[in-house]
Amino acid sequence: MKQGVVDATKIPNFSAVKPAVKKLFWRGKDGWDESWFDHAAAVVGSRRITEYGRRVVDKIVPQLVNGGATVISGMMYGVDQAAHRACMASGGRTVAVLGWGIDYKGITAEDLSIMNEIIEKGGLVVSEWEDQAGTLWTFPQRDRIMAALADEVYVVEAAVKSGSMITVEWAIKLGKRVWAVPGPVTSRVSDGTNRLIAEKKAQMWLPEQQVSQRTTNDAKSDDKNADIYRLLENETLTVDELARKLMRSVNEMGAQLSVMTLSGEIKEKDGKYFIGG
Amino acid sequence: MGLVTMPVEVEVDVAEAGFPGFTIVGLAGKAVEEARERVKTAINNSGMDFPSKKITVNLAPADLPKDGGAYDLPMAVGILAASGQLNFQLPFFNFKNTIFYGELSLDGSLRATKGVLLVGLFAQQTQNSKIKTQIFVPIESANEAAVVEGITVYPVRNLIELTDHLNEVKQIKKLGKVEVKELVEEGGVEYDLAEVAGQEQAKRALSIAAAGGHNLLMWGPPGTGKTMLARAMPGILPSLNSAEALEVTRVYSVAGLLEPGESLVRRRPFRSPHHGVSAAGMIGGGSNPLPGEVSLAHLGVLFLDEMPEFPRSVLEGLRQPMEDGQVQIVRAAAHVSYPASFTLVAAVNPCPCGYLGHPRRECRCSDKQIRKYRARMSGPILDRIDLHVQVPAVETDKLSSSPSLPAGKAGLGSSSKEVRKKVIDSRKIQDLRFRDESIFTNSQMKNKQVRKYCPLTGESERILRLAVEKWDLSARAYFKLIKVARTIADLAGEKDILPVHMAEALQYRQVG
Repeated sequence: MKQGVVDATKIPNFSAVKPAVKKLFWRGKDGWDESWFDHAAAVVGSRRITEYGRRVVDKIVPQLVNGGATVISGMMYGVDQAAHRACMASGGRTVAVLGWGIDYKGITAEDLSIMNEIIEKGGLVVSEWEDQAGTLWTFPQRDRIMAALADEVYVVEAAVKSGSMITVEWAIKLGKRVWAVPGPVTSRVSDGTNRLIAEKKAQMWLPEQQVSQRTTNDAKSDDKNADIYRLLENETLTVDELARKLMRSVNEMGAQLSVMTLSGEIKEKDGKYFIGG
Repeated sequence: MGLVTMPVEVEVDVAEAGFPGFTIVGLAGKAVEEARERVKTAINNSGMDFPSKKITVNLAPADLPKDGGAYDLPMAVGILAASGQLNFQLPFFNFKNTIFYGELSLDGSLRATKGVLLVGLFAQQTQNSKIKTQIFVPIESANEAAVVEGITVYPVRNLIELTDHLNEVKQIKKLGKVEVKELVEEGGVEYDLAEVAGQEQAKRALSIAAAGGHNLLMWGPPGTGKTMLARAMPGILPSLNSAEALEVTRVYSVAGLLEPGESLVRRRPFRSPHHGVSAAGMIGGGSNPLPGEVSLAHLGVLFLDEMPEFPRSVLEGLRQPMEDGQVQIVRAAAHVSYPASFTLVAAVNPCPCGYLGHPRRECRCSDKQIRKYRARMSGPILDRIDLHVQVPAVETDKLSSSPSLPAGKAGLGSSSKEVRKKVIDSRKIQDLRFRDESIFTNSQMKNKQVRKYCPLTGESERILRLAVEKWDLSARAYFKLIKVARTIADLAGEKDILPVHMAEALQYRQVG
């Protein structure tokens, strides 16, 4: 593992950030590589990630990686760590901007293990401090670094008052492109993202039109599976809900869903079924 | 001593010589020591004479610790007899086949005393064929003994009545025999499954649990009906048969939990201890160990709401009873064993705040908190739970607006009564299957028996193999799934485990 310091004043964009960032301490397997930030996307969001947020992250991040982008996030549990994990899972470069000093020892075992994993898999861990503890003021400071390093920002789930909004404010100030993922209007962690869209501060992110492999291509598949597939295209449903909608018994429905899950046609998480994206 | 009845002989000596006094020997506990005052006052207040002589009471065998108020009555009778205030008419009266049992009140009347059923059963087992054993027990508890065949039960109201009876002044009326069968009538259903809105899959899981005796774990946010579902469980289990009812009543008799006048526990027990329960409260304990919740739930349902909130030591204590169907309690004074064969129904919130995965409310727990919360349930306990089911939050408007399933299509019918019928049918199939084994339900099968009784057809086997591969299931999980599939097939009345049964069983696998 290598570690070092870069002079932040030399990095483009950082001149406009206040308070000014002087140095950036980094750790990584292969060292600091300026070219990583030619195309870098920050994926930020709430610590309170919902199942919806997780699925969105699993959709966005692989796309970014395929497009050759470096994925930047803030190492916090929730959306941040989901983004780091998704990036590593799809073989991308990820940069974790810490909300605490790079040598700070007081972090939890979970944070430590994901940090080590990021380094091991060739990612970078970055902070402007050496042994600063993570406190109330350090996280907003961290947010400005993410905004400066990235050339676009994806907000997955964020409340109106949240660190992600600080990143967004900075990104707008620095003239970066901001994408917000719309969420249910009933969810508090989607308030911020929805409002960004409503106020036209961010562009609404929508997945590319998915061609459903099943209903269009596979006409001969039996009707029962197709029924389920059609319902799941629109929303996530539990066994009970599917059974009620299709007027079938839960035991039958359960058996069929098991088979469909086994064959990989659909996915299940905590009792809810959806079409894997 | 636990459920084992030990006869205690009460010897009374009223000596002419010596300083007046009243001594009790024979490892008497505090409650027995205090019998001195109760007996003395009761005799005086019954208009009889408490001899002011040197009285020695010996409780034999000498090395057995004794506690409780049940020795009051025999002591009083002994003192009255030894001081010549009773005139027995031999051979009408024979101490050898007579048992006195009961706690005295200061006014000479008898109080409800626990354990009368066990006394009755003991009397029945030990009597010789020629003379019926007669037992004298407090009137309020006498009904407990009424179900015991072949003995004579005298319900005693007070000391005067008893002396009149023994002196043949006025007979106490024998207690009429009560047939166990009559009492164990179709017990009503306290909570009907139909009362829980939606949650068809959870209901289905409940019926599988009832049919195969499987333990069940329900995951779900608060307020989704987990508790109601659990309470409905006893109602879909077959009613207690006579032998079972007696067994349950024995435990309750020892614990002193029978209502005065109640003769038999007729409903399957449903115990729902709060998570503040201590290990001794759960497993049983005390210096003279009393049954704990696991034994009070014998042949019924033990419901643990918010299972991770229970202290770890308490949960670990469940392992032995879940494995053996009984529990050994070892204390300095005693080593007892109580039956504890129950169906465990546990409810677990998905996270400490309860709203993980809720459609409308976000969860406010960190990953770490959630992991810590789930880690509180140890692997060995989860391993012993065959069925895991999600009880998701139900959106009420969805429930009321969408059509309910037609009764036939719901696969299990809606009311507890219908479900119970199916459960009973599948239990019959299991009885037949295990007629040569010492087990009764599918859940009790060991791996060897699973292989013997649950051959898989090609397609079922393929599904199971696929699942094992996909979800990386352990060998234990593999056998659990087969057992559950067997029960599902039994519910459907099928001889073989069909692919559809196997696939449904996969719905209830352990996740996470």
